Amino acid sequence: MTAQTQQANIENAHEEIIHENTMFAEPISYIGKFPITNSLLNSWIVVFIILVISLVIRMNIRMIPGKVQSVLEMAVEGLLEIFDSVTGSRKKSLKFFPFVFTFFIFILLSNWMGMLPGVGSIGQVVAEHGEKVFIPYFRGGTADLNTTLALAIIGVVASHILGTVSLGIWRHFNKFINIQTLVEIPRKIVKEPTILIVNPIKFFVGLLEIIGELAKVASLSFRLFGNIFAGEVLLASMSAILAFGLPIPFMFLEVIVGLIQAMIFMMLVLTYLTMSSTAEEH
Amino acid sequence: MGDLIETFHIDFRLLVAQAINFAIVFAVLYFFALKPLMKIMQERTGKIEKSLDDARAIDEKLAQTREEYNVVMANAKKEAAEILEKAKQAAEEKKKETVAKAKEEIGSIINQEKAKMQHEKAQTLKEIKKEAADLVVASLHKILGEGVDAKKDKELIKKLLVK
Repeated sequence: MTAQTQQANIENAHEEIIHENTMFAEPISYIGKFPITNSLLNSWIVVFIILVISLVIRMNIRMIPGKVQSVLEMAVEGLLEIFDSVTGSRKKSLKFFPFVFTFFIFILLSNWMGMLPGVGSIGQVVAEHGEKVFIPYFRGGTADLNTTLALAIIGVVASHILGTVSLGIWRHFNKFINIQTLVEIPRKIVKEPTILIVNPIKFFVGLLEIIGELAKVASLSFRLFGNIFAGEVLLASMSAILAFGLPIPFMFLEVIVGLIQAMIFMMLVLTYLTMSSTAEEH
Repeated sequence: MGDLIETFHIDFRLLVAQAINFAIVFAVLYFFALKPLMKIMQERTGKIEKSLDDARAIDEKLAQTREEYNVVMANAKKEAAEILEKAKQAAEEKKKETVAKAKEEIGSIINQEKAKMQHEKAQTLKEIKKEAADLVVASLHKILGEGVDAKKDKELIKKLLVK
């Protein structure tokens, strides 16, 4: 239980139930061998909410917009304008919009769901290693590295798929394992001998790009997870100090953090998509 | 790497589950919300643009029509004025002509009447002369007696006329 020592433990002295903020989502039950973690449960709720909202939107879309639709359209329009500044063209923005916006909504709702009353506080007590451990039924979806890692992988993989589609598999492949530059050496060496030094460097830079891609996944997933998890720990700590009033400003803080993290994730994925859809410039 | 998995309980099955969640959210959001919303927004944009274009076209047409109307009206006015002028001239001419004709006719009538009167006068004079001669003959008959034969008569008349 190394994890346990890292956590802020909140012990109930009377019943000796251990409340802890674990770094991972705990399984609540199993379907076959498949663990249903509290974060997964929360994600399903998010999916359900989005499903309902989408259906409501679907049924209420009118040519002449009502108030809700106007606000929605304004939001979409505003986001598209921000996207334009990244992608450089409205056509690209429109193409990426649904995909990138999905990240935003999914992450935003997951982040905020983690702060709802009941999430993290309603749960079951399970005997573990001879100790009674409190396991909440719900845990913010993004407070589990599995979720953020899945999202990050989807984002980065999507950018690679887009790269191969828009540039062709050969050119995209050469961004990372730059065989093209090595092949070029004998052809151009007479004209410019410096190519003998430059192109191996280019090849090496390409290899670094591979590490860069892994770093993208790591930074995306850990940034989101870290922020949201830290927020939950912060709120739990504040509640432990004084449950009345004290956590409120931190709640506001977490609302903003949740929004900002969702925005950051969205914009980063958008940047990756844009970068991989444009040819590499030398 | 093993530590990482241990610490964060990274589970491939959970990764897949979350990826599926994302896919569902994407599909739902795309097909139910974003696609129709974007479509309708685009449609509306198109409609508004078309309306604006139409309005512009209508304005242009209106201006054009107004111009044409003005031109046509100006032409019509000019033509009307011309026609009026022509009509006036024609009337004037007709008047003059009629007056001239009337004068001529009156003149000719007067002349005719004059000729007639002259003729009648001549006739009357002739008749008077004849009657006078008859009277003279008759009175001479009475004076000379009835027994005057044609020979004598002629001689007498000759004498009288010579005298």
